[in-house]
Amino acid sequence: MDLTPLAAGLAMGLGGIGPGIGLGIGFSKAMEAIGRNPEASGTIFVPYILGLALTEAIGIYALVVSLIILFT
Amino acid sequence: MVHVEIAAEELFALGPLIVTNSMVGALLASIVLLLAARWFTRRAAVVPSRGQSILELPIEFLAGIVRSTGGKRWRQFAPLIFAIFLFVLIANWLSLLPGVGTIGLWHGEGEHRILVPFVRAGAADLNFTLGLALISFVAFIAFGLRANGLRGYLKELLVSEPAYMTPLLTPIHMISELSRVISLSMRLFGNVFAGEVLLATMLALTTATLLTLPLAFVVPGVFIMLELLFGLVQALVFALLSMTYITLAIAEHRQHGSDDHHSGEAPEQGTAAANGAA
Repeated sequence: MDLTPLAAGLAMGLGGIGPGIGLGIGFSKAMEAIGRNPEASGTIFVPYILGLALTEAIGIYALVVSLIILFT
Repeated sequence: MVHVEIAAEELFALGPLIVTNSMVGALLASIVLLLAARWFTRRAAVVPSRGQSILELPIEFLAGIVRSTGGKRWRQFAPLIFAIFLFVLIANWLSLLPGVGTIGLWHGEGEHRILVPFVRAGAADLNFTLGLALISFVAFIAFGLRANGLRGYLKELLVSEPAYMTPLLTPIHMISELSRVISLSMRLFGNVFAGEVLLATMLALTTATLLTLPLAFVVPGVFIMLELLFGLVQALVFALLSMTYITLAIAEHRQHGSDDHHSGEAPEQGTAAANGAA
């Protein structure tokens, strides 16, 4: 039995948990900050995008690993 | 169901140089940028026309960000950041045009027949993103060297604050510098490649049966809208991270220098004085 698709699915699914939680926390904090101080949305934007990118990179690693498992 | 090729497919070879379809996509993006730049510089006016305003829009947007977060020397590296942003943006958006990834030649026979498209998204090939990441890597090391000098740079890398931590921290510093290349390139490649696979999967799912065929006119469109957004965000992220690495490399020294001055009374007085004299 070929378990390769299962491995790819598990790699992506388990690898998506952490970044998902992290992105949610980051986004909720950014929204809270904008809600408290709407004028600061311009200054919050850039650090927010950077934090989002760094958090999301973990999920992208999982994606690349699962694609490599699946297609090579 | 969906044929996915991680490496870009080879189209033809010019001697030792193998031309892949991703290279064609990247070249197309360069040509579009060059034409836009030519058109823009020829007709540039102080009071912008409608087209000029549209072209100026992304530059103004990015210039505002770079000016506010790039520190004092933002003018030195702003062109590089703009170039990275525009190149990645155009390459990402070109890949959403109809025909990219779908028009090509059939290779192989029968069951193993695969379509090799003429044009593929530039960033859907790791070579493209790795090349850009290496440019960014060289840039932030070069800016660090220029701001700190070779001695300051090596000191930052090789000497840690409590001296006994040096054997532990120096490899960590080196790995963190090198991992920036990997994370920058993998992030862009993963996003764009996953976007391509996502679009192909959605098209394959909706055209699988006759019943779901009407959905094929709607569902991929929604995901193409999503990909437009992701293309912009990823271009922004790549450019902003490159900028952050460069500003970090420049700013490390200032902080370090002021530290030296504050601890000038401590045993390091000789070097602090030498720094002041230099």
